[in-house]
Amino acid sequence: MFRFLVTRISSSLFALLIITVIVFLLSHLSGSPVDALLPDDATQEQIDSFVREWGLDQPLWQQYLTFLVNAVQGNFGTSLKWPGEDAMGFVLDRMPATLKLGGLAILISVVIALPLGIAAAVYRGSAVDHGAQMFALLGQSMPNFWLGIILIWVFSVWLGWLPTSGMGTFAHAILPAVAIAWFQVSALARLTRSAMLEVLDAEYIKLARVKGVSEGMVVWKHALRNAAVVPLTYFGILAASILTGSVVIETVYSWPGMGWVALEAIRGRDFPVVQAVIIAYAVVYMLSNLFVDLLYVVVDPRIRRG
Amino acid sequence: MIRQNDKPRAMPVRLLAAVLLASSISGMNAHAIDAPAQGRIVIALSPLGADSNLYWTTTGAFILPSMQTLVGNDPETGKYDNSQLADSWEHNADFTSWTFRLHPQATFNEPWGPVTSADVVHSFNMHIGDDAKLSGISLFKKIEITAVDDHTVRFDMPSPEPNFLFSNAGRGSLVIYSKAQFDAEGIKGYETSPAGSGPFKYEGREVGQSIRFSTIQDHWTGVNPEFDEIEFRWVSEPSTRYAMLSAGEAHAVTLPRDLQDDAAEDGQTVLVSTEGAMQTTMLFTGQFMNPEAEENRDARTYAWGDQRVREAANRALDREAILEVLYGEGVRPLPVYTMDPRFPGFSEELAARFDTDYGYDPDKAMALLAEAGYPDSFDNAKIPLVVTTLAGNPEFAQMAELVQAYFDVVGIETEMREQDWATGNTAIRGFTADFITPMRNAPVRPSALGVQIFFTEHASAHLNIGDPELNQLGGKLGNETDPATRDALLAKMFTRIFDTYAHLPMGEVPASVVVNSELVEGWTFPGSTSSGLSHFELIDLK
Repeated sequence: MFRFLVTRISSSLFALLIITVIVFLLSHLSGSPVDALLPDDATQEQIDSFVREWGLDQPLWQQYLTFLVNAVQGNFGTSLKWPGEDAMGFVLDRMPATLKLGGLAILISVVIALPLGIAAAVYRGSAVDHGAQMFALLGQSMPNFWLGIILIWVFSVWLGWLPTSGMGTFAHAILPAVAIAWFQVSALARLTRSAMLEVLDAEYIKLARVKGVSEGMVVWKHALRNAAVVPLTYFGILAASILTGSVVIETVYSWPGMGWVALEAIRGRDFPVVQAVIIAYAVVYMLSNLFVDLLYVVVDPRIRRG
Repeated sequence: MIRQNDKPRAMPVRLLAAVLLASSISGMNAHAIDAPAQGRIVIALSPLGADSNLYWTTTGAFILPSMQTLVGNDPETGKYDNSQLADSWEHNADFTSWTFRLHPQATFNEPWGPVTSADVVHSFNMHIGDDAKLSGISLFKKIEITAVDDHTVRFDMPSPEPNFLFSNAGRGSLVIYSKAQFDAEGIKGYETSPAGSGPFKYEGREVGQSIRFSTIQDHWTGVNPEFDEIEFRWVSEPSTRYAMLSAGEAHAVTLPRDLQDDAAEDGQTVLVSTEGAMQTTMLFTGQFMNPEAEENRDARTYAWGDQRVREAANRALDREAILEVLYGEGVRPLPVYTMDPRFPGFSEELAARFDTDYGYDPDKAMALLAEAGYPDSFDNAKIPLVVTTLAGNPEFAQMAELVQAYFDVVGIETEMREQDWATGNTAIRGFTADFITPMRNAPVRPSALGVQIFFTEHASAHLNIGDPELNQLGGKLGNETDPATRDALLAKMFTRIFDTYAHLPMGEVPASVVVNSELVEGWTFPGSTSSGLSHFELIDLK
C-alpha cells in the first residue's frame, strides 16, 4: 500500500513538472503580453519598461527557471489583467466558486445517473431503457455551451424562474450545474447500465433470486455494490471533466470561478494567471485521480494486497 | 468474509455524497431571481482588458463614472465643453503651454474637500509613473505641470500640442484623484474606494464581475440622475448579455450586430451615439510605399506595393453592402481613415470624390489587375487577410471574410490568416507584418494625431507606410502651429493617402447600446470615449 502510494505521488509530481514546462512554453510562444496589455500607440519606452518589469528580456530557459523556483513557492507573480492581484491568490480565491458549481454538478450527475442506469439495466429493452438511452444520447450530443444558452433562454427569459447569470444565491448555481452535469449524467448512466447488466447476469445474483431474496435487495444491494466499481473508476474522469467543462460554462453564466478566470486570462494574455490557473487545474486533477486510486484500493482488495 | 469487505465499500459512497452535498450547498443562499431593484440601473458590458480602480494601470478603456477628467464632451455634438473639472482653458500662440482654470465649486465626494490644482498635479504624477499603461500617456511624460494657484494649473510641453484637449476629454489620458485621500490612506485608498468628483459615488466592486456606484444628491455640477444606483456587470458571452436584457435583469447591454438585430425584432431599442465613435479600415502593412529598401521593413514585393492593385482592391469592395452587414444603422462612409469632419484637415473635395474614385466597380478592378499583370508578375501575389477579433469589435472577423469574398470575385488571390489581435500587433511592432488587417481608431482621434500614428514615421514607426511625401508633410505638421497652415497640410496628407489608395477605408461607426424598451426611454451620448459609452447620468428611465 505504502509503495503504491509513493509510486503514484512520484509519478504525479513528475507529470506536474512536465506540465510546468508545457504551460511555460505555450504561454510564451503564443505571443507577447506586451501586445495584449499595452495600448496600440504605446511608445518604445513603455514597451521597454514593461519588458524589463516582467523579465521578458531574459533568455527563455532563465525565465523558466525563475518561473519554476517561484512556482514551487506558490509565487506566480502578479496579474497583468487585474493589476495588483497575486496570480495564484486570485485563482485560489475563485476555486471555492468552481468547487461549489462542480460539487453541485457531480451531485446532480450521481443522483440522476445511478438510478437512471440501474433502471435502464433492470428494465432492459423497455420504454424506460429506451428513454434513458435517448436522454444519454442527447446529453452526449449537445455541446454544453449551447445547452447553457438554451437553458438560460428557457428558464430565465421565457419562464423567469432563475437568474440568467452571475453568482450569489443557490438559484444562480442551478442552470450552470445542470449544463455541466447533463453530459456527465449521460456517461455515468451508460456506464452504470452496462455494469449492472453484466452483474445481473452473474451466477451469484441468480442464486440470490433462487434463495428468495427480494428483487429490491438483489438490485440495490447485491448487484449495485459490485457494479459500482466501474462508475467509481470513472469518477476521476468525471471530476476532471467537470472542472475543465467549467471553463466554457462559467464563461457563459459569468460564474466567477477558475474556468472563467482561465478564459479571461487567456483572452487578456495574462500569462501569470494563465500559468497559475493551469497548474491549479493540474493539481486538482491529480488529487482527484489520486483520491480515486485510493478509493479503488479500499474497494478492491486485490489491489490492496497486490 | 463478505460482510467484512462490504463495510469499507459503503463508507466512500456515503462520504462522497456528504462532501458533495456540503460543498454544493455551503455558502449558497436559498434565494431566487436577481432583478434590478427599483432605482438601480444595470448595464452589462464585455469585460475590460484590465480591471482596476487605479485608472492609469489600465489602457483607459473605461473611465469610472465617479471620476472626472478636466475637459468634457457635449453629449449632442461631442465638442469639448466645461462639463467636467475645468471651467475654462487657454493656450499660448504656439500651443506649447495650456492653462486650465478649475470650477471653484468642484468638490470630491465626501470627505475629501474641494478639487484644487494640487489634486491635478498629484494625479498627473500618478499617471506618468512606471506602472502607467494608458493610451496616449507618452505625451504626458514630456510635460511639465505647474499649479499656478489653487484653481489654476498649467501644462508646458516641449513641442506644439494643438490637440491637447483631446487627451484631457473623453480619451481620458488623465482623470483626477484626490490628493487628500492619498495623503490619508495611500494607494490602498485608491485601490479600495477611490474618491472622485463625478455625479456618482464609488460603492464597490467584485473583481472581474461588477462595479457599483450610487448617485450623489445635489452634485456640484447640478446633474441629477433619475436613479439611485448604477451597476456595471462584465459579462463575456453576448448571448448572456442579450438574455439579461430580455429577462429584465439589465437596462442596457452592448451586443454584436447580429444580436442587435434580434433584439430590435424582439422590441428592444438600439441607441447609437450622436457622433461617430470609431473609424474602421483594412490596413496594408509594411513600408510598401518606401522607394528604397529598408532592412526588415521592405514591403515592396507585396502585391499591394503596386498602386494599381491597391486601387483594384478598393474598387472590388461594395462598401455599402459590407457596412450594412457589419454595422447597420448610423454608419457613415469614410473617404480617408483618420479624417473626420469634426477636426481640422477634413476635405469636402475628397468626400465628394469618394464615390467616383472608390465606388464599387468590379470591371474596373479586373482591368486594373490585368494592367498590373496580376498575379503572374508578382512574387507575393497572394494577399493574407487577417481574421481576428478585438474587444468591442466582434465584426472584424466578418469584415475580413467579406473582403475576401469581394476580392475573390475580381480575381485577387487571398489567404485567410486566423490570429488573435495581440499576435498581429506583435508582427506589426516587430516589423514582420505581411498582411492586410482590420484596424480601428477609437475614440476618433483628432486627424492630426491619427494620420501621424497610422501612416507616417512620426508617431508609430511600425505603422509607417514608408511614403517620403507623407513623412515630409507629417514632419512639417509636427512643427506647424498656424491653424490655417495645419489645416492645409492635413488636407494634403489626406489627399495623398486618398490618391495613392494607401488603405481600404471602411466606415465611421457610432457606438451602440441596446436598451430594454420597457425600462429605458433614451440616452444621449457622443461616442467620445474608448468604450463609446459615457454620460450615464443622462439615462432617461420610463
